[in-house]
Amino acid sequence: MSAPVVKMAGRCFYQLYKLSNSAGRLASGKTGIRQFSGAVVKNAAEPWRLLGAACVQRLAVISADQRPLEAKFSELMNQMELERSLMSDHELRLLDDKERLRRRQAVDYDSDEEEEADRDQDIVLTQDLEDAWEQRLKGFATQPRARGVVDARLERADRCLAEPLLLLTQQEVGPERLWMLPQTPWEAGETLKTTAQRALSATPGLDLQTVFLGNAPCGLYKYRMPRSVRDREGLTGVKVFFFKAVVSGPLPPPAPSSLWVRQSELKDYLKPSYLEKIRPFLLNL
Amino acid sequence: MSLLIRQLQVSLTQQSILTNQASALLQRVTSSLPAPLCRLAPTNERHYRTMPTHGIGRWKYLLPKEVPRKKRDKLQMKPIRGSTATEYGSLSVKVSGYDMTVVEHYSQYIHNLCNRLGVRVSESYALPTKSTEVMLMQEQGTKMYIDALLKTHERIVQISSMTATLCPTFMDVVLQNQPEGVQLSVKEHVERDFLERFKARPQLEGLMAQVNQRD
Repeated sequence: MSAPVVKMAGRCFYQLYKLSNSAGRLASGKTGIRQFSGAVVKNAAEPWRLLGAACVQRLAVISADQRPLEAKFSELMNQMELERSLMSDHELRLLDDKERLRRRQAVDYDSDEEEEADRDQDIVLTQDLEDAWEQRLKGFATQPRARGVVDARLERADRCLAEPLLLLTQQEVGPERLWMLPQTPWEAGETLKTTAQRALSATPGLDLQTVFLGNAPCGLYKYRMPRSVRDREGLTGVKVFFFKAVVSGPLPPPAPSSLWVRQSELKDYLKPSYLEKIRPFLLNL
Repeated sequence: MSLLIRQLQVSLTQQSILTNQASALLQRVTSSLPAPLCRLAPTNERHYRTMPTHGIGRWKYLLPKEVPRKKRDKLQMKPIRGSTATEYGSLSVKVSGYDMTVVEHYSQYIHNLCNRLGVRVSESYALPTKSTEVMLMQEQGTKMYIDALLKTHERIVQISSMTATLCPTFMDVVLQNQPEGVQLSVKEHVERDFLERFKARPQLEGLMAQVNQRD
């Protein structure tokens, strides 16, 4: 009998507390409201640790090879375009010259029948031009298509040039070392974007020039600490804010404890819960 | 009054409407007109629609139709928005390259992407094409001759407002779909960029300089 009464009393007080809170709209540090029994009140004084992380992408350097269907379709479109196109000035001149030559070499050629303008023109000038151009083309050697280093180790930034790669570094989280996007704790007085920039420069051995794509974070990863840590250190949890960046300038040399992975290889290195939160802002185009 | 009657009679005979009705009408007209009004010129009389002479004297409909030439107003600059804490101001996304079809298609892609994502596009235009002549030195001698002519085409998509949270995603999509041989640049739109669209008028500028010098 007493227990339900107490519970009801607690719930009423909790509702009162909520109303008073909404009326007053205090930012933080609510005082004197923790004595209610049975009421579940969120303690806003326990801190969340903030971290800034950088999601650095090395974009594709060369275009990907066409799949067989794409190749067939593009060939068909080119053929249609060629068949529907009109002749250029150069091609018309070539035909004109051929016609004039044929007329001149006819048995019953009369030079007076030629039009005034065409009489003194030198024929096969266009054909000479074409021959000269073809000679120059033969002397020109094309560079082989850059394929990048085949079978490269994952630390190299110049592997898989046709796909975008993501930078991963090894960080110590609690007792273990995990692969994740480079991150570092936030210090008071700086913006989260500068924290992310610091995270990149703090990675040992990484010589990278990046451009951050915006001032606002693109994603958030939030996790709560287990009860023991929460009670011991007073830390509720951790929030990681991600900022997108793109590699600009030359490709960096391989550095220890940093990997460049494709999106399909991410699941081999990242924890599933972490990967699930990252996936929404990684564009797989 | 006699003058009026004679004129009416002449016009009637010319049109050959000598029916009894017409003569009766004529008498009615002559009898109803008061004396001072008969001095008016015949063009001020507009007969009612049922009158046989309605529309007499119309001639403008017989001329060929002339479309009036619209005078084009000088292009006005749309106001440049400043940036706020949560939104970027006026930005111009410039796409440039040597291949015109690729450059145009890419700028169209960016415009369509903006429409789909809800980013407001204020203007989308082309800057004048810049021609670069590649000159080669002759093997024997010091004279240079033209080897090739390269044309740089530029297209601009002017964005009026973009939220800061959308910007990284938008930039990522645009960069990942950038074709080969095309340069992309995104920067703040300034009035000087607007003035770049117009052709330089050296004579006018010379005169203005002279006027300013005199003052």
